[in-house]
Amino acid sequence: METVQNFPAISILLCLFAGIISSGLKRKAARWVNILLVVAVAFLSIYTLGYVLATGASYVYVMGKFPAPWGNEIRVGALEAFTAFFFCVIMLLSLEGGRKKLADELEEGKTYLYYVLSDLLLSSLLALVYTNDLFTAYVFVEINTIAACGLIMIRQNGRTIKASARYMIMSLLGSGLLLLGICMLYDLTGHLLMGNIREQVGILSVTGEYHIPLLVTIALMSVGLAIKSALFPFHGWLTDAYGYSTVSSAAILSSLVSKGYIFLLIKIIYRVIGTEVFNESKIINILFVFGLMGMIFGSLSAIRENDVRRMISFSSVAQIGYIYMGIGMGTKAGMEASVFHILSHAATKSLLFIAAIGLTDVSGGSRKFIDLTGAAFRNKWAGVAFTVGSLSMVGVPMFSGFVSKLLFAQAAVQNEIKMLPALIVLGISTILNAIYFMKTVIRIYTPVEDLKYESITFKNMRMYAVTLVLFIILNVFLGVSSQPVVDLIGQGLAMFS
Amino acid sequence: MYYMLYAICFPVLTGLFLLVFRGLKNRKSLLLFTAAALAGASALVVLALCLGQGGMLTLFNLTERLPVMFKVDGVSVVFSVMTVIVFLCAGFFSFSYMEHEQNEKRYYGYYLIVFGVLIALCFAGNLITFYMFFEALTLASLPLVLHKGGREAVMAGLKYLFYSLSGAYSALFGLYFIERYGNTLTFSPGGVISAEMAAKYNGLLLGIAFAMLIGFGVKAGMFPMHAWLPTAHPVAPAPASAVLSAVIVKAGVLAVVRVVYYIFGVSFLGGSWVQYAWMSLTLATVFMGSMLAYREPVLKKRLAYSTVSQLSYILFGLSVMDKEAVTGSLLHVLCHSFIKAALFLCAGGIIFRTGKTRVEELRGIGKEMPATIWCYTIASLGLIGIPPMGGFVSKWYLAVGALGAGISWFSWIGPVVLLVSALLTAGYLLPVVVLGFFPGEDACPGGWEKKEPSLLMRIPIFVLTLLSVVAGLFPGPVVDYLSRIIEKII
Amino acid sequence: MILLVILIPVLAGAAVFLVPFKRRSYMEIFLEAAVIINSILVWYLLMHRSESIFTLANFTGNLSISFKVDGLGMIFAGLVSALWPFATLYAFEYMAREEHERMFFMFYTMTYGVALGISLAANLLTMYFFYELLTLVTVPLVMHTLTREAILASRKYLYYSLGGAAFAFIGLIFVIIYGAATEFVLGGTLDLSKVGERGNVLLLVYVIAFMGFGVKAAVCPFNSWLPQAGVAPTPVTALLHAVAVVKSGAFAIIRLTYYSFGTEFLRGTWAQYVVMVIVMFTIVYGCSRAVKETHLKRRLAYSTVSNLSYILFGVAIMTPGGMVGALCHLVFHAVMKISAFFCAGAIMHQADRHYVHELDGLGWRMPAVFGVFTVSALALMGFPGLAGFVSKWYLASAAVESGNSLAYGGIACLLASALLTAIYMLTVVVRGFFPAGEAGSKELGQVRDPNWKMLLPLFVFTGFIVLFGLYSGPVVKFFADVAAGIY
Repeated sequence: METVQNFPAISILLCLFAGIISSGLKRKAARWVNILLVVAVAFLSIYTLGYVLATGASYVYVMGKFPAPWGNEIRVGALEAFTAFFFCVIMLLSLEGGRKKLADELEEGKTYLYYVLSDLLLSSLLALVYTNDLFTAYVFVEINTIAACGLIMIRQNGRTIKASARYMIMSLLGSGLLLLGICMLYDLTGHLLMGNIREQVGILSVTGEYHIPLLVTIALMSVGLAIKSALFPFHGWLTDAYGYSTVSSAAILSSLVSKGYIFLLIKIIYRVIGTEVFNESKIINILFVFGLMGMIFGSLSAIRENDVRRMISFSSVAQIGYIYMGIGMGTKAGMEASVFHILSHAATKSLLFIAAIGLTDVSGGSRKFIDLTGAAFRNKWAGVAFTVGSLSMVGVPMFSGFVSKLLFAQAAVQNEIKMLPALIVLGISTILNAIYFMKTVIRIYTPVEDLKYESITFKNMRMYAVTLVLFIILNVFLGVSSQPVVDLIGQGLAMFS
Repeated sequence: MYYMLYAICFPVLTGLFLLVFRGLKNRKSLLLFTAAALAGASALVVLALCLGQGGMLTLFNLTERLPVMFKVDGVSVVFSVMTVIVFLCAGFFSFSYMEHEQNEKRYYGYYLIVFGVLIALCFAGNLITFYMFFEALTLASLPLVLHKGGREAVMAGLKYLFYSLSGAYSALFGLYFIERYGNTLTFSPGGVISAEMAAKYNGLLLGIAFAMLIGFGVKAGMFPMHAWLPTAHPVAPAPASAVLSAVIVKAGVLAVVRVVYYIFGVSFLGGSWVQYAWMSLTLATVFMGSMLAYREPVLKKRLAYSTVSQLSYILFGLSVMDKEAVTGSLLHVLCHSFIKAALFLCAGGIIFRTGKTRVEELRGIGKEMPATIWCYTIASLGLIGIPPMGGFVSKWYLAVGALGAGISWFSWIGPVVLLVSALLTAGYLLPVVVLGFFPGEDACPGGWEKKEPSLLMRIPIFVLTLLSVVAGLFPGPVVDYLSRIIEKII
Repeated sequence: MILLVILIPVLAGAAVFLVPFKRRSYMEIFLEAAVIINSILVWYLLMHRSESIFTLANFTGNLSISFKVDGLGMIFAGLVSALWPFATLYAFEYMAREEHERMFFMFYTMTYGVALGISLAANLLTMYFFYELLTLVTVPLVMHTLTREAILASRKYLYYSLGGAAFAFIGLIFVIIYGAATEFVLGGTLDLSKVGERGNVLLLVYVIAFMGFGVKAAVCPFNSWLPQAGVAPTPVTALLHAVAVVKSGAFAIIRLTYYSFGTEFLRGTWAQYVVMVIVMFTIVYGCSRAVKETHLKRRLAYSTVSNLSYILFGVAIMTPGGMVGALCHLVFHAVMKISAFFCAGAIMHQADRHYVHELDGLGWRMPAVFGVFTVSALALMGFPGLAGFVSKWYLASAAVESGNSLAYGGIACLLASALLTAIYMLTVVVRGFFPAGEAGSKELGQVRDPNWKMLLPLFVFTGFIVLFGLYSGPVVKFFADVAAGIY
């Protein structure tokens, strides 16, 4: 075994370890540990990616020496490594962008906890990405939930506590369903490792045995993960959680946590159940329909919203709808589009959250639209960044959102039955996106006569501005030269099966 | 060849000059200029008629297949002679009449332009050129209607404009199709629709023909698009009304002649539903125009309604598509224009001197201005069709033509309607005469004051009246000339 | 070279905003110079065009941002670049009294580049990109006055345009997937062997995409943004909302119909009838709304709605003749409408009159402006000898030639609309020269014709209206060549 093969496991452990260390550190030290950690993990992941691409095949890494069917396994493919890397980048940027705000919003002396939680969160995300057995997956789902809850609640006020309670309840419901699903699957197949289960499920589907239980299992797991990733009817927890937590948390939660679950779902579809079985089940249509509804209703709620942060949160509901629509198409192209949208949305949504905070800060902290009038002139960088994010969301060419839209639409065309609904909803949802995002953009670029609030200069927000620029570059990169990324996704998905 | 162009351009340019040029403040010099321009233009027209006969002048191509082209043929001669005479008379009349109106210069400017455009219409050698000047005529004559200003005139002007344009567009609709289905757009006696096309697209082409007839018929005040005429003509100054009613509406007649006899051809339209529908419309208009005139108290409006009715005499003759009837029509074109111009000028003279507009106010007018009212009487008799006036001859031909044309029961219903309408004509024109000459014993105890209009106004009236009488007494040469034209087209 | 002509205006626009000009006149000179140089470059490019495709960047797979100078692009680029210097000149004078001038000129000039981008795009994706960009750079122009009305209008404009693009996007996808080539090819790029059974779906998509691009071309029922966007300063309404923006919608539809789906595929199908009916309805609807409207600029905007559908009617005939008609009207209407709008702007600027009923007797005060307005009015209603007649002629004769009986109805619509055009345009003229009441003339005071910067464009445009009307041969010949695929 080569050293590089250890890297994924090392990075997970590193995260856990860093979390533990940080709990004993002061604010500044914890911060540096966190930064170092994320950077290190990013490097490890990219190195792994290089290795996987070089060998051209994924590998399974057995934790400890327990052989199947009991041991814990990690599976590393191109997509996993790339996603890990990408998550790290987003995480780093989100934390960096919200850093200044963090100091204001958190109680003195609790800041280090924030880093502890983010370390843990990263570890769980990595585990969700890499895992090859369902039990590990479940464990890290729970860790993830706890860490996420912490990130919401760490900003102490009534709303966040309520939000995190809601989040906790919904999340636990989701993980409960997931657990049930895993249990049933274990009952049906006698395995926890993904590869083994897949074989058994394949046999079951051929023989037709346990048809209903299998269906129920798929349903339980899908719905469980759907709840956790805030698919449309289960999105009630999301707005408060994203809307009132600190900005970094919101960015991370919306762009990474929910995406981690979706990634897990994709992995389950490919590695555990198998695409054929999944496509034959009716669950896929349910996901598709919920996805479409999410696209519409998420946007409609966003239009009605009068609070910019909550508006962006609702927009997440819509975007997650896109992803599920892609999954629901049941084609390779649809899946590719979904995965690309996971990345693109992660990049865009965190950009929007970070930019929004810059705008609200120069508007007396108010998040109401009326107060945001002219905010883009007071904080030019945030204004530009918000505009870029909005354009990307609306799907203007040259930004990442356009490419996802393109991929979704191309995928839709290949599916005869689902084509028309998908395309039409895509069109409508674009219009709705345009309505609320462009409304905001126009609002922030409408000059006001009496200057109530002070504007902020570059000097006072160097780090923030740099983060925004990096985000914009990332977005435009995904928008302009998306081909390598799309290829990579295709390759990665091919390695799944 | 270029005389045609000169005859068209000269009045238009002098008219534009009057509109644009700020000088000529002195009324006398303005009148001299206008008189010279009118005379010059008339001379040029005559020259063009003498020298340009049969020639063809292609100016340039509007688009690849749309040449702007002029040509002088028999029909051009008839219409342009009429135009010149009426324009000269009305022009000289207005020198005196326009004294009490404002913006005289503008009026003369447009008057000259309209003259030029009308000549261009007469000379137009193909349908597109014709259409072009047809639209221009509407626009150029619009200021004459608008001249007085004020709400009434503006409303009337707009009504005129929109009716005319809708007619023109209806005609344009047909033009598009003829360009495609006809051999050429050039007016050719007997039509341009080849037999093959006529057979293949019969229904379509008939529909087109009907659309064009209705469209051009608007200008000639044909039912159902006649409503503009009684509104628009009376609001213009009297000489302008004379021109409008006597000449400009004839542009519609000319258009119909061109479309029926030079584009579609008698062989195509004769006996089709279009002919019968058209004929019914004209007869309806004849009757209705007379009835409305009979009920109208304002003199100028009454004359305008009379125009509606009389023009449909002409159109009826054309719709019969018989040699005699068409001769009658063309003759009536001439007679009607002289008579109607004379009548309008008389009405103008009355207004100018007394300011009276309604018929019942005209009690004793014959005592005040006997010469004018005598002219009025003679012209009226002509319009009614009493021998030996001009109107009698033309109506005679119309009736004879209709009776002999073999158009089923229209053969007798047509003449009957014409007769009834003649009676009505008498009914609406003669009360003025009766009231004017026989006001009753107690109408004016103080005796009648002479209010005869100036010589400049009387002479045109005399000339026109005289012409209408001459046309009735010696119709021979004219009828000969007309039948030679008609020979070619039927 | 192609990139250069797109970039110069964008950079010049940015420079206007960034460089602090000491005096207004410096900025004027700079901008006018930049615009004129760019126009010269464009014309040079068109004269010495190369057939090759210039690819800027590869997108995904076979998609790329690439440019090409083909016949249709030449027409639109030529039109835009011919009008822009005049419009800029006019804008200097017009904007002298408005605020935020530099912001205005920045976006105004940038739009030039973007419009050229649309016209020179070699494939649907590139065009789509610039099409979206066009929306974005023009929104600030609509918003310019920052009144409540302007903001509402710009929001509406934005929603409509982006929404339309979203549906046009569906068409884009299908063309990409079912196309044999990504570049525009006259006659369409659809690979009919791929289409197979799904012809009807493609037709539906065509209709959807037509309507999507049609939003910018103000097809009913998506036309209401255009009259509202009239709150923008007149140079914007004139150049953008009568030419650059709305025509780019029509241009995109020509690209979609003739160069992507292909008329072979579409002609005679239900899709053709559907779009034709929509377009015919819009022709009449736009005019009737214009008749009802009393605000002069909005009236002209409704007139634009109707006239754009003339173009689309030509497109919907789906024959080369129809395309010639459409192209004729695309170009001629641009000249006529910009002239009419500039007159309206001059009236607003000199006399501060906005409504038709306020114009009584103004004609004798501003004879030059009203004279020009009269000419453009006559041209719009299709008076023979002026530009409008020629384009209408070609549209109608294409309709006759197509032998499509619905197209005959279209001719009737054209003529009905001509009549309505006469009503809404000539009432203005008549009011100007023949006031209905005496009251109007007294308060006019010192109103007079504007100075040369405003008049020069007006006279030039009038000259072109007459020139095209009387001598359209070479231009139309060129259009016919383009429609025949020679260029």
